[in-house]
Amino acid sequence: MTFAAPASAPTSATAAAPVSATPGVWPRLDRVLMSAGAWMLGLLWIAPLLYAAWTAFHPSAYETRFDLLAPLSLENFPLAWKQAPFARYFLNTVILVTSILSVQLVVGTLAAFAFARLRFAGRGILFGLVLVQMMVMPDILLVENYRTMRMLGLVDTIAAIGLPYMASGFGIFLLRQTFMTIPRELDEAARIEGVSLLGLIWRVYVPLAKPTYLAFGLVSVSAHWNDFIWPLIVTNSVSSRPLTVGLSIFASPDSGVQWSVINAATLMTSAPLLIGFLLFQRQFVQSFMRAGIK
Amino acid sequence: MADLTLDGVRKSFGETPVLQALDLAVPDGGFCVVVGPSGCGKSTLLRLVAGLETADAGRILIGGRDVTRLPPKARSAAMVFQNYALLPHLSVARNIAFGMEIRGTPRADIAARVADTARILRLEAQLDRKPRQLSGGQRQRVAMGRAIVRDPQVFLFDEPLSNLDAQLRAEMRAEIKALHARLGATALYVTHDQIEAMTMGDILVVLNGGRVEQIGPPEEIYRRPASTFVARFIGAPPMNLIPSTTAGSLAAGAPARGETLGIRPEHLKLAPGAGVEATARRIEPHGADTFIQATTAEGVDLTIRLPAGNGVRAGDQLPLLAPPAHLHHFGADGRRIA
Repeated sequence: MTFAAPASAPTSATAAAPVSATPGVWPRLDRVLMSAGAWMLGLLWIAPLLYAAWTAFHPSAYETRFDLLAPLSLENFPLAWKQAPFARYFLNTVILVTSILSVQLVVGTLAAFAFARLRFAGRGILFGLVLVQMMVMPDILLVENYRTMRMLGLVDTIAAIGLPYMASGFGIFLLRQTFMTIPRELDEAARIEGVSLLGLIWRVYVPLAKPTYLAFGLVSVSAHWNDFIWPLIVTNSVSSRPLTVGLSIFASPDSGVQWSVINAATLMTSAPLLIGFLLFQRQFVQSFMRAGIK
Repeated sequence: MADLTLDGVRKSFGETPVLQALDLAVPDGGFCVVVGPSGCGKSTLLRLVAGLETADAGRILIGGRDVTRLPPKARSAAMVFQNYALLPHLSVARNIAFGMEIRGTPRADIAARVADTARILRLEAQLDRKPRQLSGGQRQRVAMGRAIVRDPQVFLFDEPLSNLDAQLRAEMRAEIKALHARLGATALYVTHDQIEAMTMGDILVVLNGGRVEQIGPPEEIYRRPASTFVARFIGAPPMNLIPSTTAGSLAAGAPARGETLGIRPEHLKLAPGAGVEATARRIEPHGADTFIQATTAEGVDLTIRLPAGNGVRAGDQLPLLAPPAHLHHFGADGRRIA
């Protein structure tokens, strides 16, 4: 999600300015320093992306040479596309993120509803365990997860990449918090009308939590689109590899380091997320605000 | 349509008793208003009838059918909530149709019933709007529409007017009464507002601390409050309660009975040469009437209600007399003696 940083950095600078409003010349200087800092950070964040874009659209001769008049070129893209099975990698990643997200939404919704509105023995302890999941770094579990996948005979499948993430503690927590803010009267009004428990979730809770679903969907898709270390370990063939792993193999020194082609591939693989975010930026930011994630 | 009977209904939350052996009978088509201070158990009573809570003991009957253990949907009771409880993502039409959609009513029927209901409630122009685009009164009508389309045996109202401003409240009171007369269904209406209680109900139930203080027609409760609690709660400004020992000659001519004397502010008379002298401390004009706070020589505070233009000013000495016919007598336990 590094691409979100340039957009959010200036926002935080303007938000901070009124707080430090002291009389005299200082507020103006303060403001200048703040926005300068914001711009610096923003540029720092976006520099690699700018470099990637520069090299991808120019012939390889300009990889390390900046020349405004350098000829533009699109040939790096077909070159990259042909050198590795990116179409297959794309398909794998899309299958991966959609299957993770859909299972996360179903499991998360049911679990969140139970934690938010049902009374059952051990609710507190179970919810505590869900929170613990958020505090354990997934990388610590690499070895254990690999053993589990081997036991299940799933090594080198797309399912193996997704399975460890399908019950998201973060998603359950987020949805539970949202569900708890939904007025009980709505719940009771629906129950008087004779709605079933699942109907209640589907007709009352899910529609009212839409901003949270959108925000969580974005976080989940971008996290798993960009996830690298676990898919690298658990996959070893073209049929299961996602984009990130495919790209890293493509960019490894033994296939010859040609930055313009590698960066063309990088742009291609991150383009769907980038374009999607830019198109829906307003909705995403709004839903993050409404979902209380900032 | 059906009558509603509560027979020895009890409910406690944990160790806290909320309702204690409550008996109530509302005849078919009756409009029963339950009134009491907050925490008296009136909302719990409504939720027990709706089926949102289950009674610990006793029986609830709707039309002679025991519904005590039935789920809400099997009770034929529709409820109108204080905050309307409209689904914000659905249009007015779909909010009204919500229950029918769940029960799988055919589409054509739904459309016809929604149109009917919208006509009754003058919501035809708002059917495609979302609740947030409506005024408070319109939202309230949508909430009633959702209750009406069910064609229930019992209507339950949970302080439905408390979020409206005073003028709209008066209009909606009349509207709900008119609607009730038209539909003829039995209604149980909970409020903490004694004006709503007095103006709307055929039967008034005054609850206090989970117990019934008094049940009866509003005028009867106003005229003959069964306890000091009811005397203070019903009527504005509240009844003056005076310990008999400090009454002095205020109630001259009446036989001394009980521990406490009660007299409504509008029944206190200015009687030069009789009664007790009291000093007017504060004058509160209310348009047609003026409320006067006064203190007698014995230190008893009284409220007097006089027609406007009476010329009384703060600091004036008022000769006050309580006519025996309007006196209320209460015993040491606060219950009425006569």
